[in-house]
Amino acid sequence: MSISAEYAESHKDSPAVLCCRAEEGVILSSHNLEDPEIFDELVDSGLLNLKGALKIGEVLGGKLLKTCDSLTPLTADLVERSAESFAEEKKEAEAPAAAEPAAAPAPVQGSAPLAAGGTLKIHIGEGKGIDIQIPMGIAAAAAPAAGRSAAAAGQALPALPQAEASEKEEDILVRSLTRKHFKITEVRRGPETKLEGTVLTIREGIEKEAVDSQDIVLDLKIDIITPDQYHTFSNTIMDVQPIAVKEGEDELGSGVTRVFDDVVMVVSGTDENGVQIGEFGSSEGFLDENIMWGRPGAPDKGDIFIKTNVTIKAKMNMERPGPLAAHSATDVITQEIREALKKADESLVVGTETFEQHRHPGKKKVVVVKEIMGQGAMHDNLLLPVEPVGVLGARPNVDLGNVPVVVSPLELLDGCIHALTCIGPASKEMSRHYWREPLVLEALYDKEIDFAGVVLVGSPQINAEKFYVSRRVGMTLEVIGADGAFVTTEGFGNNHIDFASHIEQIGKRGIHVVGMSFCANQGALVVGNKYMTAMVDNNKSEGGIENEILANNTLCPEDAVRAMYMLKAEMSGEEIKKAEKKWNPSVKSQNEELISNVTGKPVELVENETSLPMSEKFKEKYM
Amino acid sequence: MPKYMDKIIDMEGIIVEVHDGSVGIDLKGRLGYLEIPMRMLITDYEPKVGQEVGFRMSFIEQLGPEVNEKYVCNLRHRGH
Repeated sequence: MSISAEYAESHKDSPAVLCCRAEEGVILSSHNLEDPEIFDELVDSGLLNLKGALKIGEVLGGKLLKTCDSLTPLTADLVERSAESFAEEKKEAEAPAAAEPAAAPAPVQGSAPLAAGGTLKIHIGEGKGIDIQIPMGIAAAAAPAAGRSAAAAGQALPALPQAEASEKEEDILVRSLTRKHFKITEVRRGPETKLEGTVLTIREGIEKEAVDSQDIVLDLKIDIITPDQYHTFSNTIMDVQPIAVKEGEDELGSGVTRVFDDVVMVVSGTDENGVQIGEFGSSEGFLDENIMWGRPGAPDKGDIFIKTNVTIKAKMNMERPGPLAAHSATDVITQEIREALKKADESLVVGTETFEQHRHPGKKKVVVVKEIMGQGAMHDNLLLPVEPVGVLGARPNVDLGNVPVVVSPLELLDGCIHALTCIGPASKEMSRHYWREPLVLEALYDKEIDFAGVVLVGSPQINAEKFYVSRRVGMTLEVIGADGAFVTTEGFGNNHIDFASHIEQIGKRGIHVVGMSFCANQGALVVGNKYMTAMVDNNKSEGGIENEILANNTLCPEDAVRAMYMLKAEMSGEEIKKAEKKWNPSVKSQNEELISNVTGKPVELVENETSLPMSEKFKEKYM
Repeated sequence: MPKYMDKIIDMEGIIVEVHDGSVGIDLKGRLGYLEIPMRMLITDYEPKVGQEVGFRMSFIEQLGPEVNEKYVCNLRHRGH
């Protein structure tokens, strides 16, 4: 099928192949050319050989020297090229030399010297319909001097100190959040829930209150798992949660939060028939073989688990009240621990860390859009509870209609999402993930961007609802006035339909956008559009699959770094290379190398499932 | 790796169960039953019992003669 002139222009560097029979002497136009998107498959199946084929840009306007059939690659001996196409080629040959310094992988830094030292001279002798694009790194560097000339008018100061002063002015502290850490070395049972030194005691018999709080919860057991007991069988891990509480009347997302170190709440359970809650690719098995330790959402090695094993009524595991009841019953216990933490003596604080949210008005405004699951049952999240990762006061995003909810980066890091966590285990974002969200942390500390905030959007089941919410995402970002955005999602499946739609809605408003998802082999995107040019794959598994290891394929700092550099490159006008047809893990390693070449330090990579112990029986049989 | 993955066949089925988090699908021609999480079902309309669904699949092949003890152990815990 032939292509349009506009399409030919955007694919001018692709090989030129006839779409249908063309007669000798015909002047070649886009109507004679086949869509390059289909070439990969034709080449793979041996139907097409592109060796020696000219580019589309080279043949347009040229004369065909011989009558040819459809799907004939246009080689130099078949086409008499037009004068324009030669001129185009000459121009291109000159361009790379000039563009080379800016083509470094960190375009924002790469473009700075250009702005500092050089003169931008554009001469156009004659022309019509000319678009000139200047990388924003240059424009941004030039802007302070121009914008503040009035203030500097009466002063004979050199330009540089003035620019420095203005940069300081443009750093606005919006709010801050302090975490006070309390160390736990032992968790035991006793007559009262309390904290003594570094020993946490959980009241005996609290299980009954937890069970009684929910109609469909039949039983609840608490297991305290210390590091020497990691080789213990567990039902599928539904969620991993920090134990934290706000100090005094402080609200979520600001003020002071108290948190326990080295201990986490872990929610697990089945229905009364023994069917896992969160069936499908569940992560039941020995804990030490099924957890990717140290992932943002996962437990760290050395953590003590306070693990609940909740039994709910038969067949409720796939209904909305099922997972919610398991989480709510667990939270009865967590809440009592939170109250003990709230009362704890200040002298037990072992360390504090403060997160500050700054705005940098002169810089590119960036928003993080996090798509969270909203199809129902375990595909749900409780938003904005009173206490970090609590239940009380929170609203399920399914009940909110999955529409975008704007939160501050500090609200997100303060546990504003209590995740009911969907499938599958390797790619789901658990509550602890948001508490340590690497992309939000990366953006929070980056002074080269103006990080505006986080937009949470649910992923509904039905396509019409997906497009409804994604149009709201586009409008939200338009109103925010974002220059760039990240869109992240967890897992794979129909959520990729709205993921693609969010990117389209954002991209068509002229906002640069980088998408992040687990894709690799198994999670390949089901749909795409022309705005999905910059994508970061969160895969870490060897085979590019959902490997059933908890949190293995979730967003890690290494992915956040790649995404940030990709967005900066896009915003400064660089083109992102086209993705390869099939998943190729070396693309990731090449990008990491390019980044470390510029920053001078290696991108630290996390381990994957190959670092975990295998069961003895498995080793005996297969190794 | 499976040997016959390229042999893709058209399949159809009927939604026979709808839950908040999953649907059950009978494959037409009594070829089996599938239960899939909601996320793996693409829907233009609200899912209802009796609706027909379509997809393509390859034949299912054994990956080898070995028994993976991890999964056997998990099944034992489920009480199967």
